[in-house]
Amino acid sequence: MNMQEQMKTLDYDVLVVGGGIAGGESALNLANIGYKVLIVEKELSIGGKMILLSKVFPTLDCAACITTPKVSEIARHPNITVFTGAEPLKITKKGEHRFEAVVLQNPRYVDVEACTGCQLCEEACPVSVTDEFQFGLIGRKAAFIPFSIASPRVAAIDIENCILCGACERACPPDCIDFTQTEQKYLVKAKAVVTATGFKLFDPLKIPRYGYDKFDNVITSMQMERELAPTRPFNTVLRPGDGKMPDNIAYVLCTGSRDKSVGNPICSQVCCMYSIKQAQLLMGSLPMADITIYYLHIRAFGKGFNEFYAQAQDMGVEFIKGKVGKITEKDNGNLILRYEDIEAGIVKEAEHDMVVLSVGVLPNRGIDEVFDNETLKLDPFHFINQSDILASPAKTSIDGVFVAGTASGPMDIPDSILSGGAASAETTSYLRREESI
Amino acid sequence: MEVEKGKTAKYLKETRPVPKEVTEHLKYFTKTKKTLLNALKEGDKTVPQLAEELKLPKNEVMFQLMSLLKYGFVETGEIDDNDEYFYYKIKSNGKSKS
Ligand SMILES: Cc1cc2nc3c(=O)[nH]c(=O)nc-3n(C[C@H](O)[C@H](O)[C@H](O)COP(=O)(O)OP(=O)(O)OC[C@H]3O[C@@H](n4cnc5c(N)ncnc54)[C@H](O)[C@@H]3O)c2cc1C
Ligand code: SF4
Ligand code: SF4
Repeated sequence: MNMQEQMKTLDYDVLVVGGGIAGGESALNLANIGYKVLIVEKELSIGGKMILLSKVFPTLDCAACITTPKVSEIARHPNITVFTGAEPLKITKKGEHRFEAVVLQNPRYVDVEACTGCQLCEEACPVSVTDEFQFGLIGRKAAFIPFSIASPRVAAIDIENCILCGACERACPPDCIDFTQTEQKYLVKAKAVVTATGFKLFDPLKIPRYGYDKFDNVITSMQMERELAPTRPFNTVLRPGDGKMPDNIAYVLCTGSRDKSVGNPICSQVCCMYSIKQAQLLMGSLPMADITIYYLHIRAFGKGFNEFYAQAQDMGVEFIKGKVGKITEKDNGNLILRYEDIEAGIVKEAEHDMVVLSVGVLPNRGIDEVFDNETLKLDPFHFINQSDILASPAKTSIDGVFVAGTASGPMDIPDSILSGGAASAETTSYLRREESI
Repeated sequence: MEVEKGKTAKYLKETRPVPKEVTEHLKYFTKTKKTLLNALKEGDKTVPQLAEELKLPKNEVMFQLMSLLKYGFVETGEIDDNDEYFYYKIKSNGKSKS
């Protein structure tokens, strides 16, 4: 059967793949000058990683306070359409200013327009499974709103874990849960494409000597972001191993970065700064706690970053230039860090009651394979290659396909927004070329 | 197919059998929830106290108890004298009956 025949065709000026802060910024700029934009986001909410952060360095603004207005502007914009729970399966360049994408929309089993976000389905659902948006620290229901500031803030059904008991449906006042929904494929025609597929966190299981997953009080920096966020999983910052309020926390910088043995030789750009940020936030929420940061080099080269680093030192955060070799666990859940004190040149041991692994930024693989008849070139580290990094930073190996944000390499939020801006400007000039022909 | 709004789960049930692990998991959660709530009915307790009493791993008690806190069955009480562990208690709005 011809797939094209069953697919609904949709027409836009620009297809933006990935609805993180970079893709969102590009979409808003393009929409504001009148282009019709489709954002295709694979998660249940737009906002990417940023919407899940606590506060942001170096200003310590609350991440949600910056993301929420942006995200709602995107959601309300008349020129922007958002598909969540969707991804492009194939993108074909048919000619200059002529792209065709096959987009898969997974069923949410909830009518997005009708759902009021009342959470009665959540309350009714008997199933509790691990909450991926709290990075495994707590449970969530099979009928669930991804998180309280999600956009769209509507329910979804986790069909893999659903027992199809129907309790959610019976509880839903507007009858918007619909288990007859099936996956849909759309043929999306667009004149240009922005790839803003973001990054992936380093998986600390790749460094077994740090004991992640084996020792309950070794967590990742993303889990600590959640513990510090207003929508935190616990009542305050606590050890996941036994609920103790920690008072001696260690950070291991460069976990999975600048480390050839795990296949990632480059610096992740943000780990030093987000760890210093978390240390400052922890000193605020746990005033009695000692915080130690084990580092190789502190990279604080952005605007206000060095001052931010000095501020942490003034607050009493201890910085040890040390390479952590191995972490072991004591019976009481405390952790022993064996490390090389680089300045003294000797191996030492220190005890902490919680360890945070400052995991690095890795490429989100796979988007290049979606391009059908042309090659989207990657750089040696598998980020999307910027073919003219100095003159047109958003340009890729395919004319009419632009890159925004961490899809092109590790960077922080201000740079991701700038990069999103560059991608929208370069997309506009590509589109104007057609208009002037 | 004539679909009745608000009663659509049965249609999917015909084509999509619920895997055994999913039902087993639900049984486990329901049981742990009952056990934890019953233990808290006797008085406010910390995570290590619950773990010891119920012979459950501490991290498991933590995960399930914090989930019950989120679902509105439990609330946070005082912190212990060493400023280490919080006491948790049944939420007073009567939701704990289920
Ligand atoms: C622990 C931690 C703390 C941080 N703290 C700070 C901070 O304080 N200050 C700061 O400036 N920066 C911070 N950062 C960095 C910040 O998170 C990034 O700079 C920013 O999130 C990058 O945005 P992005 O849009 O490029 O990528 P992402 O946030 O990764 O967004 C990409 C989006 O694309 C979607 N996507 C991916 N592939 C597909 C596909 N094939 N189809 C459809 N959609 C797809 C993803 O689901 C995601 O929503 C921190 C990072 C970490 C890990
Ligand atoms: S049908 Fe599924 S999602 Fe709905 S209440 Fe039952 S288990 Fe939960
Ligand atoms: S699906 Fe229904 S019950 Fe659930 S949040 Fe939406 S409106 Fe409320």
